[in-house]
Amino acid sequence: MNALSELPPVARPPGHRHQPGKDVDSFYHLVGCDLRDRPCDGTACFVAGGGRDAHQPRVYCLGRCFAAPARGLDRARPRIEVHSREPIVLGRLAKGGDGSLASYRSAGGGAALEKALAHEPGEVIGAVEASGLRGRGGAAFPAGRKWAAVAASATPDEKFIVANADEGDPGAYVDRFIMEGDPHALIEGMTLAAYAVGARRGWIYLRHEYPFAKEALDRALAEARAAGLLGDDILGRGFHFDIEVFVGHGSYVCGEETALLRSLAGLRPEPTIRPPYATERGHLGRPTLINNVETLATVPWIVEHGGGAYRALGFAQSRGTKALSLNSLFARPGLYEVEFGMPVRQIVEELGGGLRRGQLKGVIIGGPLAGIIPPHLLDTPLAFEELRAIGAAVGHGGVIAFDETTSIAALVHHVLVFGSYESCGKCTPCRLGSRRLEEIFARPDMPSDEVRELIAALRCASLCGHGTGLGEFADSALRYYGKELEPCWK
Amino acid sequence: MLEVSIDGTRRRFPEGTTILAAARELGIEIPTLCHDERLVPNAACRMCVVEVKGWSRFATACSTQLADGMEIQTASPAVEDARRTMLRLLAAGYPAEAVAAAPEKPFHRLLRSYGADTANDGARPCFTDTQHPYLRVDMAQCIACTRCIRICDEVQGQFVWRAWGRGPETRVLPHGAASLAESECVSCGACADTCPTGAIEDRSVIERGAPETWTRTTCPYCGTGCEMLVGTRRDRIVQVKPVLDAPVSKGHLCVKGRYAFDFVHAPDRATEPMIRESGTWRKVSWPEVVEFVAKRLADIVAKHGADSIGVLGSARGTNEENYLAQKFARVVLGTNNVDCCARVCHAPTAAGMKMTLGTGAATNCFDDIERAATFLICGSNPTENHPIVGARIKQAVLRGAKLIVIDPREIELARYADVHLQLRPGTNVALLNALAHVIIDESLADETALRERVRDFDAFREFVAAWTPERAAAICGVEAAKIREAARLYAQSDAAMCFHGLGTTEHVQGTEGVVCLVNLALLTGNFGRPGTGVNPLRGQNNVQGAAHMGCEPGNLTGFVPIEQGKDVFESVWQAPLPHSRGLNLMEMIDAAGERKLKALWAIGYDVSFTNPNAAVTKAAIEQVDLVIVQDLFFNELAREFGHVFLPACSSFEKDGTFMNSERRVQRVRRAVEPVGQSRADWEIICDVAKAMGHGAQFDFASAEAIWEEVRRVWKAGAGISYARIETHGLQWPCPREDHPGTPILHTESFPIGKTAPLKCIEFHATTEVANEEFPFLLTTGRTLYQFNAGTMTMRTANAQLRGTDTLDIAPADAQRMALRDGQRVRVRSRHGAAVLPVRADSRLKQGELFATFHATDVSLNQLTGPHRDTHVQTPEYKVVAVTLDKI
Repeated sequence: MNALSELPPVARPPGHRHQPGKDVDSFYHLVGCDLRDRPCDGTACFVAGGGRDAHQPRVYCLGRCFAAPARGLDRARPRIEVHSREPIVLGRLAKGGDGSLASYRSAGGGAALEKALAHEPGEVIGAVEASGLRGRGGAAFPAGRKWAAVAASATPDEKFIVANADEGDPGAYVDRFIMEGDPHALIEGMTLAAYAVGARRGWIYLRHEYPFAKEALDRALAEARAAGLLGDDILGRGFHFDIEVFVGHGSYVCGEETALLRSLAGLRPEPTIRPPYATERGHLGRPTLINNVETLATVPWIVEHGGGAYRALGFAQSRGTKALSLNSLFARPGLYEVEFGMPVRQIVEELGGGLRRGQLKGVIIGGPLAGIIPPHLLDTPLAFEELRAIGAAVGHGGVIAFDETTSIAALVHHVLVFGSYESCGKCTPCRLGSRRLEEIFARPDMPSDEVRELIAALRCASLCGHGTGLGEFADSALRYYGKELEPCWK
Repeated sequence: MLEVSIDGTRRRFPEGTTILAAARELGIEIPTLCHDERLVPNAACRMCVVEVKGWSRFATACSTQLADGMEIQTASPAVEDARRTMLRLLAAGYPAEAVAAAPEKPFHRLLRSYGADTANDGARPCFTDTQHPYLRVDMAQCIACTRCIRICDEVQGQFVWRAWGRGPETRVLPHGAASLAESECVSCGACADTCPTGAIEDRSVIERGAPETWTRTTCPYCGTGCEMLVGTRRDRIVQVKPVLDAPVSKGHLCVKGRYAFDFVHAPDRATEPMIRESGTWRKVSWPEVVEFVAKRLADIVAKHGADSIGVLGSARGTNEENYLAQKFARVVLGTNNVDCCARVCHAPTAAGMKMTLGTGAATNCFDDIERAATFLICGSNPTENHPIVGARIKQAVLRGAKLIVIDPREIELARYADVHLQLRPGTNVALLNALAHVIIDESLADETALRERVRDFDAFREFVAAWTPERAAAICGVEAAKIREAARLYAQSDAAMCFHGLGTTEHVQGTEGVVCLVNLALLTGNFGRPGTGVNPLRGQNNVQGAAHMGCEPGNLTGFVPIEQGKDVFESVWQAPLPHSRGLNLMEMIDAAGERKLKALWAIGYDVSFTNPNAAVTKAAIEQVDLVIVQDLFFNELAREFGHVFLPACSSFEKDGTFMNSERRVQRVRRAVEPVGQSRADWEIICDVAKAMGHGAQFDFASAEAIWEEVRRVWKAGAGISYARIETHGLQWPCPREDHPGTPILHTESFPIGKTAPLKCIEFHATTEVANEEFPFLLTTGRTLYQFNAGTMTMRTANAQLRGTDTLDIAPADAQRMALRDGQRVRVRSRHGAAVLPVRADSRLKQGELFATFHATDVSLNQLTGPHRDTHVQTPEYKVVAVTLDKI
């Protein structure tokens, strides 16, 4: 294995000859934008009464939903608790760890890498496969299967690891605090992944809205390099790997993996059809393993304790734990690690302590591109298939409760404003349909046939999850809150 | 095979078939907007969504491949509702007048069939461009399908169109420019061709109306052999579009093929026969002119002998016409004095490759571009002169193929090259010998090829041992390290494909330069396999065919030496072949200067304007008693020296075949009636032959009838019938009707045997060297927008894109001499002088100049010299020492 310094620069793949320029920059809305005094336009801030004035550029979620409505950046941490049998992703954070390598190690961090490097890469993949871990970014794809695919893909030169740290779903701030307060978990997870699939370079694609995470990651990466945990000959085992942080320029769709990879390569970040999958042709055309931050931060625990121990946690097809981020309308907002299977009601009423004031009108889990859960469905367990069955989703684990002060038409309008603002414009239903629906939901008399047609086109015909998710959201609003919307129809 | 059901019909399809392709095969039309067969599926417009049983969302038919057992509904109510909804969204804000103006545009037809009304809710400010001579842009009609962006990226490789902004505010604009003219646009028109609305449209259609009739034919410009659809309206060409399933061009054309057709009906098109009497041209009838020509030729034969007459066939004419031209010379006149303009371009290729490999034509096919791992481009500028080949090479390189460019200028492909060997003009042989040296020195030669297919290796090894890269570096002005790098790239590739052009052949060592390229291919085993070979890029539509049909003093049809073909030809022609050695074009000019050439019949060939050393050429032609000019226009030859003018028609006005650079014979078809009294070259030749008493041997009712005779004399083309090349051409050798044609030559053996020889070629420096008196080396060539003598392109709006010749000079030289762009200078060589405007061009090295030769008012050949290739006498157009005088 060549040392990193001997690796050739990564050749740009076919079709990448065009150098990115102002045309690509014009896609993003936060190029060079200072966020210090920006009001947040995210959904948690909206249901808390914020984000209602028109301003440009818009900022969809600063990751401060626990203190919504938020303005500007703040280093304050939310309440962080572990309610699972084992602390997997929030344990160190809950104990107030400072994110340093020393505190990571004193809490047992780093053992997984020591262990893994003494075993074959295939054994690491085996552990991840056995754990039943599914991607935490929203798609819930079995992580082990993805890892095995990248490991198996034949490649002439290189493979890459990319951490999706574009936690864009308004309402989610799980990854933000993992990166700010426990960055070595992500770094160790990426290093394990690199070892498992045979990669030597990794990127963390970090959203522009998380500058504190950038600081924490830079610090942690320097520490890790100094400690021989990154770079050439990691832990003296002849394995080389290093990580770069890439900061985005403001675009929600960059959280979608094909768009993320194009953004990382300097191309216009539109989602593309799959296949080819990133596992075969990912970053710069090379096989690439992309997982989100929480997924990767989970891996050290799995490697250290074994896939079986992880699989023992959770529920049905949803194994292990999930970190949830509760918004400011709860009595006890904050981050909670729970095992899958916990009823949504328990999350809302016990963990969150119910609403601070007023009557619960609904809960949005996993960001606004999934259906609303009305109060009568709160007994649904938190799990991928089970939430899917009621038109909702686990998503990123953001939990936004809203009360009767939020009208459904206004909430749908808010989500559509977000949706059309963040649409990449590639496919017809999303580019034009989201804007058209946004305009309709701003009116007192809405043409119901057209609304239904537009929702159907968005749900069924959009290219990526952005359009389909907008359709799902609007559809669930009509389904569960039809009575409230009735006076709005023309 | 996969079994699927589409709208209830069960059928089996091969793996990899998309739903869209399968449906179309069943005659089921699925609407599309962003789809184009030439592009990678993008699945963006979502019009082609279909329902697949068991899928929670719709599938896009364009991008989804069939899976076994799929049950597909292409027009379920839900799918049709979604399509209607999307079309309504697109229709809102779309200009209604655009739909009314062009109701047959694909998008407009869809709006109609789904009842989606344009609402025109207030015009938004949009990008427009009304200044381009061929394209009109009105982005009010843009539906963001991005076909323009993708075809420019994926087919042409120009990256002109870019998307700006995002979401509903997405806009498509030319990159880094306020108009197309200021952008990198090469006016290929691919964007207008693919645009499903009227956002980017051909101006000709807007100004002259949509075509009523389409005729498939082959492009009349370079030797690539692109197929085109000629759209006519009231017997006028109003639009040309690429043929989607064309084997060479694959749905693409360049600015010349696509747009430069207005010469056909140019106001100064010469359409009446004329005879010059005591200095004055007189219009005459066809019978009169035919009688006149026949009588004068007969008189000259009687008085001075047949060998005092020369006939020049035309690379612009069809195979059939060139066949008749040489048959006329040999049978009617009785002379082998017949040649064509291959003499001044690729005769060295034909000779050099015939000498070494046994066949004087491209060894491989253009489809090998996609199979090659490495390209070696030597003395050729494909993106300007063979733009469709250039675009295909560029795309292959963008996909990862390696590229070596040997050229004195930093041509466009050099910017994509892994190695650019920017050599001094005239030093090809030294450089190519050094490449061979490195290949042998570093043991990179293909041992198997050397053992089984190559001979004379030991002598060759000994010879090139002296050609170290350092030695060549000093001669060529190229770093030795780069020579080594290029040799390694070429030799270590799985399949390396060589293309060469006139930068290789138009030198005193032209033939030998070609042989050096063959040496490299033989050494490395880069022949007889896909993606390899030595491949000339022929300059004109049918220059390959003109010579191959026998417009060659020493060779008969099929490039068969006269002695070898004598029996067959004499029996088919029912006439004896002339015995004397024929004069080639250059020798004819020499003979004219010596008053030995009494008559010259120049068919579609302005030899006065295009031959080098103009002063000497013109003085020679002036001595000829009878100059018969057969052309579309009253060209320089007619104006200055003509005695008889025979108005010919263009390839748009007649039937026949052309032969492209890769040995492919393709159909040419009449799209418009002959203009005025003009006639096809073959009809004129037949009439003169009849008038000279050879009616029986020239009794042809059609181009096809001539072709049938060609098949009888040309063994390698015997299998090519008109019926077989109705849609796709065939590549010879194709000896039988059941033979599939031959894309790749020399797979098992060479026509000269199992092995081919390596040849030791000593380098001889040209006498055209820079010195104090003539401090610059000038090299010449074409531009993208103009073609050769400018006869055709100068009469089209291409002249607005590039109107005259320029003298390109390194910016540092221009600065040193205080020359501004556009400033006219007198360029002097040892042979003459010409005046033309200067253009600073960073693609040139200091001390070197480049000039085009298209403009008659510049007449650049006043500068070029008398030096010729030592084997076939091709002139040394590519290097001449000059000096510049300010005026």
